[in-house]
Amino acid sequence: MSTETAVSVTAAPSKAIEFLKRPLVVALILIVALLALGEALSPGFASAEQILRLLVVASVMGIVAAGQNLVIIGGREGIDLSVGGIVSLAAILAGNVMNGAESGILPAVLVAVSVGALFGLFNGLGITLLRIPPLVMTLGMLGVLQGLLVVIRNGIPSGRAAPALSQFVTQPLLFGLPGIIWLWIAIGLFMAFLLKRTVFGYRIYAIGSNEQAAFMAGVPVKTIRVGLFVLSGVFAALAGVCLLGYSGSSFSNVGEQYMLPSIIAVVLGGTPLAGGKGGYTGTMAGAVLLVILQSILTTVHIDESGRQMVFGATLLVLMLFYGRGRAMRG
Amino acid sequence: MSELLIRGARKAYGATLALRRGDLHLLPGEVHVLIGSNGSGKSTLCKIVAGSVKPDAGEVLLDGKPVTIAGPQAARELGIGIFYQELSLAARRTVAENICMPALPVKGGVFVDRAALEAKAARIIEAFADVAGEGFSADAPVNTLRADQRQLVEIMKALATEASILIFDEPTSALDRAQVDRFFEILRQLKAEGRAIVFISHRMDEIFAIGDRVTVIRDGETVGTSKISETDQASVIRQMVGERDDLATPAVAPPAHQAQRSAVLSVSGLSGPGFRNVSFEVAKGEILGFGGLHGQGQSAVMRSIFGADAHHTGTIALNGKQIAMKSPREAIAHGCAYVSGDRSRDGILQGRPIFENVTPIHFLRNQLALARPASLRERAMRPLQALKTKFQGLEQPINSLSGGNQQKVVIARWLIDRPDVLLLDDPTKGIDLAAKTDLFALIRKLAENGMGIVLYSSEDAELLNNADRILVFNSGSVTRELTGADRTRYNLYHAAYEAA
Repeated sequence: MSTETAVSVTAAPSKAIEFLKRPLVVALILIVALLALGEALSPGFASAEQILRLLVVASVMGIVAAGQNLVIIGGREGIDLSVGGIVSLAAILAGNVMNGAESGILPAVLVAVSVGALFGLFNGLGITLLRIPPLVMTLGMLGVLQGLLVVIRNGIPSGRAAPALSQFVTQPLLFGLPGIIWLWIAIGLFMAFLLKRTVFGYRIYAIGSNEQAAFMAGVPVKTIRVGLFVLSGVFAALAGVCLLGYSGSSFSNVGEQYMLPSIIAVVLGGTPLAGGKGGYTGTMAGAVLLVILQSILTTVHIDESGRQMVFGATLLVLMLFYGRGRAMRG
Repeated sequence: MSELLIRGARKAYGATLALRRGDLHLLPGEVHVLIGSNGSGKSTLCKIVAGSVKPDAGEVLLDGKPVTIAGPQAARELGIGIFYQELSLAARRTVAENICMPALPVKGGVFVDRAALEAKAARIIEAFADVAGEGFSADAPVNTLRADQRQLVEIMKALATEASILIFDEPTSALDRAQVDRFFEILRQLKAEGRAIVFISHRMDEIFAIGDRVTVIRDGETVGTSKISETDQASVIRQMVGERDDLATPAVAPPAHQAQRSAVLSVSGLSGPGFRNVSFEVAKGEILGFGGLHGQGQSAVMRSIFGADAHHTGTIALNGKQIAMKSPREAIAHGCAYVSGDRSRDGILQGRPIFENVTPIHFLRNQLALARPASLRERAMRPLQALKTKFQGLEQPINSLSGGNQQKVVIARWLIDRPDVLLLDDPTKGIDLAAKTDLFALIRKLAENGMGIVLYSSEDAELLNNADRILVFNSGSVTRELTGADRTRYNLYHAAYEAA
């Protein structure tokens, strides 16, 4: 066809520039730059061993961000602020169910994931049926979860991770990589398949891009949106179990630190908060980038409060580049 | 009292010329009717007088002196008041406050003079007291009122300006008979006081009941002004239609083939918000046109059939089978398709590739779970090519296409799997002439292959040229059916403008 020849003629020179502008490429360049900076500040920062440790931490953040990513692509101010609470709750429940026993791992995972799905379902139903804005709904749910955590902490002792779970998270499993990194890679493949090869994935982009048009094209808008919040709860719960394995025992507010970074990782990876665009590969790079940044800040002795300020500022600066306005015009 | 003369007013929005040459001569002590078909430019002319639109060319003379009406505030200072349709009420404020909003009585420089405000409002409300109906009072919040009562508030608000030139753009559309009569009494009083009144209505009986002179606008040009006493309904409509049309013969030859008899869509006694008791059948291979003025229920009926606005009574049957049509999903599953003229709201998935924009209906109708882009590409290409869509590749974002091509993509999504019924709700709004030609050529071909098509168009020519049969909508009901040789512009206007 004549129209197809036109594209190959004009696209060649601009393609290189377009490539460099892609958020994923920007994130990868920044990762290399930050590793170099870390190495300069503290020799050994970019050693293979250290990078592996960073990747393990990034996996947990990346798994939380997977759910966040789906909710944000789904649009209509989609955001899940309750993920931190679900991570904590899942870690505590899983710890208590397995309580150090290998045989308890599978039931623990099932309990944690079911509870995560249940809270995601509450979020989704409140947002679709009661028309509560996601920001308000999930913030309210975070409050409920925090209260629940206090009650649980007073009632039962914090559980312990089974040794096999800790090994899965921290020790090499295959080709020198710990199991959690393989899990993360599997989740990455799952997300790519979901978004690019399933009708459900196409519909997520459709409702995020134009909910009314999607409705007129027969997309079950509410069902899809509820599904996104359920998936977000499931991913957060999975991350909670992994976190239990990482730290050995669970404590109540272990997941709190994941709420803001999970959103930043998504935006860093090129998914605009307005929804309807983006993907998970960029988010994975975003999670790695954030963990390296966190590590550098620790290396130069900036404490937790300082790190939070840097993260908050990062999100605000990102909004300038990949902000809502741009998505609307795009 | 004032005399207003507008000469050669011209206004373009981008490439669209809304008003080519608007002339209006308004005398004190008259009700001056402004009439013209959809999009003829009469509203633009009114907005120029009210100062909310700045003309590109032309002159405005007030009492013989040239003036520039810089904005709505300047218009008020010149003694020009305007009635807006529903647009300007503060929903949570009371009737009295809304009436006095344009000119709040003030004391001490900054404080609202409540007593004066209430006295002024009471005086205006009193004139309508016995026709306003239940629940209407000075202290009722506007959002508790019915549509006709809100329209009365708008009228009162315009009256409260005590302007010497008053513009009423369709002030009677929601009013009942008694309310219209009372409003006309007041207009006659205002006339006697020497005020000049511009009155726009689509009801011929109202126009001839209250008007002194009538100015006809056609295609952005003032055609002429005549005294109501010296003209009649037929000549006004003839002026609106234009002499270029031969009134005796239909605009198009009847379709070459006789439509097959079996009805693919039958609607009976359909009522809902904005329409009542609509019944019709669409045969296989037929293009049924919906005509009439804007917003007389054409679009509401189509959306209701498609399940987009679920509240309706009456029955809808596809291929003889009655279907509830509770959601677009249900309608699509039963072989119904709907193309909206508002493509940015109802049609395109902004920022997504063309491929994702063409496939949703195919996924739904085949109940697919997996998207296989490789095998779907060819299917997606076929309808796009049939519509002569210009694009570079299926991965191109839809936003990079022109409006006409975007609409073609939206239409193509319905044609991968052929529907039985295609509802076209003003599908050519804002698209270029070439795209329209391609579209109508395809629609005729689809009909010939047995699809039942319902077409609403805000352009009368499109309707006359493409529909085999036209139902004229007036105030939410079908008032006339035009078939065969009756499908003329004159008949269409006559049915659209007569009292329902």
